[in-house]
Amino acid sequence: MPVDPMLQGLVAGFAVEAQEVVQKVTMDLLELEREGLETDALTRLYIRLGRHLHTLKGSAASLGMQDLSDIAHKLEDALAPLKANAQKMPRSVVDILLHGLDLFLLRAQAHADGRGDALPDPAAALAQLVADAPPPDEAAAMVAASGEEAAVAAPTPAAPSESVSVPDALPESADAGWRVSSWQVTSLMREVERLREVRLRVEERGRELERVAVLLAKEGLLAETAEARTALSGTARSLRTDGEETSDIVDALEDGLKAITTRPVRTILDPLQRMVRDLSRQLGKEARLSVVGAEVSLDRRLLEKLQGALVHLLRNAVDHGLELPADRERAGKHHEGALTLRVEQQGNLLYLEASDDGAGIDVEVVRRLAEQRGVVTPEETARLNENQLRDLIFRPGFSTRTDVTDTSGRGVGLDAVRASVEGLQGRIEVASTPGQGTRFMLTLPTDLGSSPVLVVRVLEQLVGLPMLAVEATQLARAESLRLGKRRAHLEYQGQLLSVVDLGARLGLRALAPPAEGQPLLIVQSGGKRVALVVDAVVGDRDLVIRPLPSEVRDVPAWQGAATLSRGELLLICRPDWLVTETVQAQVSAQRRALVVDDSLTARALHRAMLEAGGFTVHLAASGARGLDRLQSDTYDVVICDLDMEEMDGIQLIAKLRERPETASLPVILVSAHDSAVARERGLKAGADGYLSKRECAAGRLLAEVLDVMSRRGSRA
Amino acid sequence: MKVTPRTLEESQEAEARELLERRASRLREQGENTVEEAVHWIAEFPLGEERYALSLESLRAALPLKMVSPVPLSAPHVVGVLRFQGQVLAALSLASLLGGHGWRQDPAVLLVVDRGDGELCALDCEAIPRPTTLPMSAVEAARARAEGAVMEVFTQDRQLIHLIDLKRLFSATRGTGARHAR
Repeated sequence: MPVDPMLQGLVAGFAVEAQEVVQKVTMDLLELEREGLETDALTRLYIRLGRHLHTLKGSAASLGMQDLSDIAHKLEDALAPLKANAQKMPRSVVDILLHGLDLFLLRAQAHADGRGDALPDPAAALAQLVADAPPPDEAAAMVAASGEEAAVAAPTPAAPSESVSVPDALPESADAGWRVSSWQVTSLMREVERLREVRLRVEERGRELERVAVLLAKEGLLAETAEARTALSGTARSLRTDGEETSDIVDALEDGLKAITTRPVRTILDPLQRMVRDLSRQLGKEARLSVVGAEVSLDRRLLEKLQGALVHLLRNAVDHGLELPADRERAGKHHEGALTLRVEQQGNLLYLEASDDGAGIDVEVVRRLAEQRGVVTPEETARLNENQLRDLIFRPGFSTRTDVTDTSGRGVGLDAVRASVEGLQGRIEVASTPGQGTRFMLTLPTDLGSSPVLVVRVLEQLVGLPMLAVEATQLARAESLRLGKRRAHLEYQGQLLSVVDLGARLGLRALAPPAEGQPLLIVQSGGKRVALVVDAVVGDRDLVIRPLPSEVRDVPAWQGAATLSRGELLLICRPDWLVTETVQAQVSAQRRALVVDDSLTARALHRAMLEAGGFTVHLAASGARGLDRLQSDTYDVVICDLDMEEMDGIQLIAKLRERPETASLPVILVSAHDSAVARERGLKAGADGYLSKRECAAGRLLAEVLDVMSRRGSRA
Repeated sequence: MKVTPRTLEESQEAEARELLERRASRLREQGENTVEEAVHWIAEFPLGEERYALSLESLRAALPLKMVSPVPLSAPHVVGVLRFQGQVLAALSLASLLGGHGWRQDPAVLLVVDRGDGELCALDCEAIPRPTTLPMSAVEAARARAEGAVMEVFTQDRQLIHLIDLKRLFSATRGTGARHAR
């Protein structure tokens, strides 16, 4: 059925609008099908449904698409007898209405694509729709369980005024907008991100100017520099004002671009409701999908790529996870299976969880089928633990189905899901309890735009925490802490939270209970909370979190890095890692070494050597920091660079020998000087050993450390 | 007719011109007498007591070793991360990657290199490397012999250079970024 060429430009917009309206109608139908809704709610749903169908009919008619208008009209007819006596809608009626909506959308898209001429006559499809629909009296009777008189309504043609009604909201003409590619918008977003980093640097320049003005005042040249200082202070003030304005502009630009590049997760989750319903009906099961966090907005490209994975996980959950209603009832469960999709964004990470309350994964069945299908050999499975066996479901060729159905059984599935998640640089994990259900957890990076980050300090290390994960901050007080032998707890809002020392968790220092007045952050992720101990809270920033390079992407503690004002990188910690319980390593039996060196690479190399030798290694970047570490921790040996600024190795040894608790601590000096004079000077200063960098390069460090420790031990 | 120089400056200028003339003719003679051999350009630097090199085409930049943020819990060969042209790169200890134990001096330079898979990373180094060449035939022969990531190649003056094949080096270390798995 051809559309007037004058109106063709509007049809594409109509197709998009129709898709949104149909989605709303679908959601309403699924809601109407459920039990337990109050009459008021039912009435509201029926009214809204009628209004949406009417909008579809009117909009289609106004654009001359009579076939679509007729379909919408028939759907209104099917709905009419039920509206009069608002009750749960029978499944057969829901089926017909959903089928009619599918037909409507298919034809609307064909019109939009200019294929309207090629469409078959809608009469046959309409006749089928009418034939499938229960007669009005029967439909009413289906819902009139209370015996009330059913309202019998004959199909009423739309009033002439209705058929030419102005559509509720037609989209703007295509000429009113621009067509841009995703890379153009993404490039713009990258520029805005850079602008945000430049803005941070400008802020730092302003602070530098202020410092210069203060320095000039300290030089005792007050009179001579008065004019320069006034000018500098004025420039710093202007810079600050300009910076604030720039911040506002950057925020506005980013918000605008985010509005273009993102859309709510709901847009991909809502259609899944229909899919779950149809599939569970097809399999004779009952399922209800609940969504938590559907309002989170994400990059459209990411959503498109995720949709397939989610469809697969839900189909799997219905097909393999949920039991038949009778089986569920026998197991003491509700006949309707519960599927849950939970979406949460923290910083640049998206957490997506798909869970069901079905039968769970039987690890033995997985093992047997994996062996039968040649996915693994029995020798291999013998070496796998329970988690590894469960992970076999992600291997190519694995399926628990013995027959191939429309839904599954072809062995192509979870491996494809994992491939698509990993293609997005994400991770997928599975947890399952037999008889209770299965949970798939997806973690994906989302790298567009900035996010609020709380910057904290632990020793010399700055660490960022996604602000969304930080529930509160407070200072440690003895009365709210419960100190046990191996761990501490914080009493917080009537709960006992585990106290996690960020420094110890990152391997930077030994575990110790928080000191009085030390900052504690309440960090939450995935419903779990801990009290995180840090040394200082530096402040909050809006930062662009970038993904980490492949060499450190697998370190579970970190989710990305952001640039700070001086160009240095701030590592962003993963809240889910922080709240994960860890088995405290038995470090007491391990030997402990402190490496004091102002060279980052030397520290890294010494650490590598000593860790390979079974040492727990802590690092300090200067003599003063080394002394600080020795005041709070105990070590078996210190490896110290001879030539350091501020406090060199000789001075550090002198300080150590002055203090009774470190007077006999073995210290090895390391230096680029390879002369007998330098060696003698070092040993004379109280070092137990002396190694040149050349000797370290030759692999002597560990042997020297062991030798020195043994000599000290025998002397003791 | 030979013109007698009138001033000291003019005399020095004439001498310099003659010197350059002689050098130019010597180079021309060399070019005529030697058969041009294909060469492989390398960036050569000391590592411990030995001479190492990278293919020059893999080198993207040499930076001062600063603004590197350490990454706690990362693998021992990871020195930290840094920002380079808007990207986050890993700074890696070359000595550690090659199984060595250290440098003669503390590295002061980071070499930004293409790992061979299109990704960039930075490697620490004692000094800015020297660009030089190796005979292509010697490199090809060494490549055929070598099984690991380091090839032993002799220069024309019989000096041993350890030429690093970055692609092989990084494929051997892939997936070992974390010290402590979850």
